[in-house]
Amino acid sequence: MSDALTLLWPPFLVALCLVGIHTYFGIQVLARKVIFVDLALAQIAALGATAAFMLGHPVQGPAAYLYSLGFTLLAAFLLAFTRSWSTRIPQEALIGVIYVVAAAAAILLIDRAPQGAEHLKQILTGNILTSGTSDLSAIVPLYAAIGLVHWLAWSRLAPAPAGHASWLWEFVFYATFGVVVTSSVALAGVLLVFSFLIMPAAVGVLLADGFVRPLGIGWLVGTLASAAGLAASYAFDLPTGATMVCGFGAMLALAGVAHPFRHGDAGSMARGAVRAARWALVAVLVLSAVLLMVAPRADHPVLDAVEHAVPSVRQLYFTAGETETYVEADAYAERYRRQADELNERETRSRAEGQPLDDMVVRRISSFIKSYSEMRRGEEFVKREVRGRARERIRWVLGGIMLLAALAVAPRVLGKLVPFRRSRVGGNP
Amino acid sequence: MADQVNGKRRQTAPRGLFRVRRQARLRCAALAAAWLFACACPTAATERLRVVTTTTDLKSLTEAVGGDRVEAINLVPPNLDAEEYQAKPQDAVRLKDARMVVRVGLDFDLWFDRLLTQTALMQPNLGTLRRGGPGHVDASQAIAVLDQRGIGVGPSDGHAHGSGNPHYWLDPRNAEIITGNILDTLARIDPANASYYEANRLAFLARLDTRLKEWEGRLASLQGRPMVAYHNSWAYLARRFRLNFIDLIEPKPGVPPSPARLASLIRTMRERDVRIVVRQPHEPERDAAFLAEKTGAAVVLLAGSVGALPAATDYLSLFDANVDALLAAPKR
Repeated sequence: MSDALTLLWPPFLVALCLVGIHTYFGIQVLARKVIFVDLALAQIAALGATAAFMLGHPVQGPAAYLYSLGFTLLAAFLLAFTRSWSTRIPQEALIGVIYVVAAAAAILLIDRAPQGAEHLKQILTGNILTSGTSDLSAIVPLYAAIGLVHWLAWSRLAPAPAGHASWLWEFVFYATFGVVVTSSVALAGVLLVFSFLIMPAAVGVLLADGFVRPLGIGWLVGTLASAAGLAASYAFDLPTGATMVCGFGAMLALAGVAHPFRHGDAGSMARGAVRAARWALVAVLVLSAVLLMVAPRADHPVLDAVEHAVPSVRQLYFTAGETETYVEADAYAERYRRQADELNERETRSRAEGQPLDDMVVRRISSFIKSYSEMRRGEEFVKREVRGRARERIRWVLGGIMLLAALAVAPRVLGKLVPFRRSRVGGNP
Repeated sequence: MADQVNGKRRQTAPRGLFRVRRQARLRCAALAAAWLFACACPTAATERLRVVTTTTDLKSLTEAVGGDRVEAINLVPPNLDAEEYQAKPQDAVRLKDARMVVRVGLDFDLWFDRLLTQTALMQPNLGTLRRGGPGHVDASQAIAVLDQRGIGVGPSDGHAHGSGNPHYWLDPRNAEIITGNILDTLARIDPANASYYEANRLAFLARLDTRLKEWEGRLASLQGRPMVAYHNSWAYLARRFRLNFIDLIEPKPGVPPSPARLASLIRTMRERDVRIVVRQPHEPERDAAFLAEKTGAAVVLLAGSVGALPAATDYLSLFDANVDALLAAPKR
């Protein structure tokens, strides 16, 4: 546990900083309807670093940062300038153009610079897990200064309708946003920065009106999602960035479910939700039944999931012989996998420990592993074949049962199909 | 009448004019000779047998065998990930006059098959370069492959390739097999120079053998000492020089390590006193630096291919550069 805390608290503090500044910018971005502007600005910053690299500067040196900043300011100028066009062309289209042209130009430049060109990928692929206190000391003053500028000039920087915004203040907005995005993407990567920007802000805007309340909700949701994502990635041994993005997505989904309850009759909303869930279950059952009847040997996600969770379910439709063959093939497949792993382990150990293996022994090991793999594939084939045959045999019966279950689950359908029950209950002659 | 006029003209033409004409003729003759020479020169150049390789390592080894009778060019620039290389239109032009191609194999340069197929469609005589053709060399033939996972087992750990770890050129002993594969095809395509190629190969292997003993002696102090690498590229190097890579930062290529894995890696590195974290120039700097900072280890930059570091200019200097880098790391 102490390991987890030692490892996770610096990225959590970095995440708090990112949530703080990006939720604010996210609300602005949602109001201005320029959702993908951070991707375009990050790509432009990468293009700047590429240009610096081409001119002989180290990729992570101050010159590269200044080039990135210069290119970002140029993009901010373009974005501020083209905002007045957005009455005729959506600004998202221009943002897309900036993104693809910057990405393509970076590829063309990289192609001319083979030495160390792969370094440039790192600009867009940060990893929040390996961020530390030194990163905090760089971003905290920067983000605080930018936050202060926005607070002092709030009346000028608040989103205005297209065509009515001051060109200069639009430039200030995009320039400061570009600086924030450039720094954040290098720390956390494009996917996670986009999540920090849009999802907490979207939850805030969904659940409250005005500016301050959505910002508060966004900060709260962002903090919770970051903590949950980091904890889940430790507990379930998952890559941190991807887990946090999914955590943010789950928060937004929960807010989406909660939203109708706030604006309507909670009872009718709950009944509506149950009805929707029942229809979803009906759709899954009907599709599974039809797939089983038409193609019994195909993949069946529902049946496979049930069998994976409760393997003894197979005994309900396997014959005794089939069960025996299946269990035996499973045991052999596992045995071959273990033997291949043991051989690999032996070869790996011999590289630095004990007597080294000569080439002939290594070739034999390699050959044995290939054979074990082939035999394991054979056993897997046997398992699939046994299961396929069993499913082929019961497809009509099981498919029919699933259809009946779907009828039972579907709201009001059974009642319409069996009207006499209702008439008897109602006492009509 | 005309002749008379011409005769008169000839007679009346000043002497200087004849001199000018004679000089012009001489200049024309000189130009024609120069043109003929220029035409002859490319012919002399095309006499060198053109070999296209996918990587810089194979280019260096092909040059070691082919000497000055072979013109070898590589498609993947140094320090780019050859597994993710995207072929360019100029690569088809580079293949136009090739009589032989050399590839890494073991699923490392799969994109090469597609390029060869497209080139053969444009120029049918290049069909000999395709897989199975007389001009196609898969340098991995007869290599004792490490980290064999086999099809169906999947990349549970280690390298992603079902066919085995493809970084076999990083064992200098494997150069014997690789150059043998190159020699076989060169001798078949150009039998007149077969003995020349064979002599080149033997001379190269003798040089390599001397250097290998030197490298083994220098790296003896690192034998068995635990190290960590970013990606599983060093299996062959480890086996030859008895280096002990106890773990990897990114066991599954493209999937960043989870916090639990990183925590366990830090714990293991502290327990086993790992002082060296190895990465290649194109691999992410941050993750290796993070681990080094947490454990007090040093990050050592090794060249996985010829040209990946400025000092690794050919196959032999690739190992010189790597041995120097490993020995330069602080011991304690």
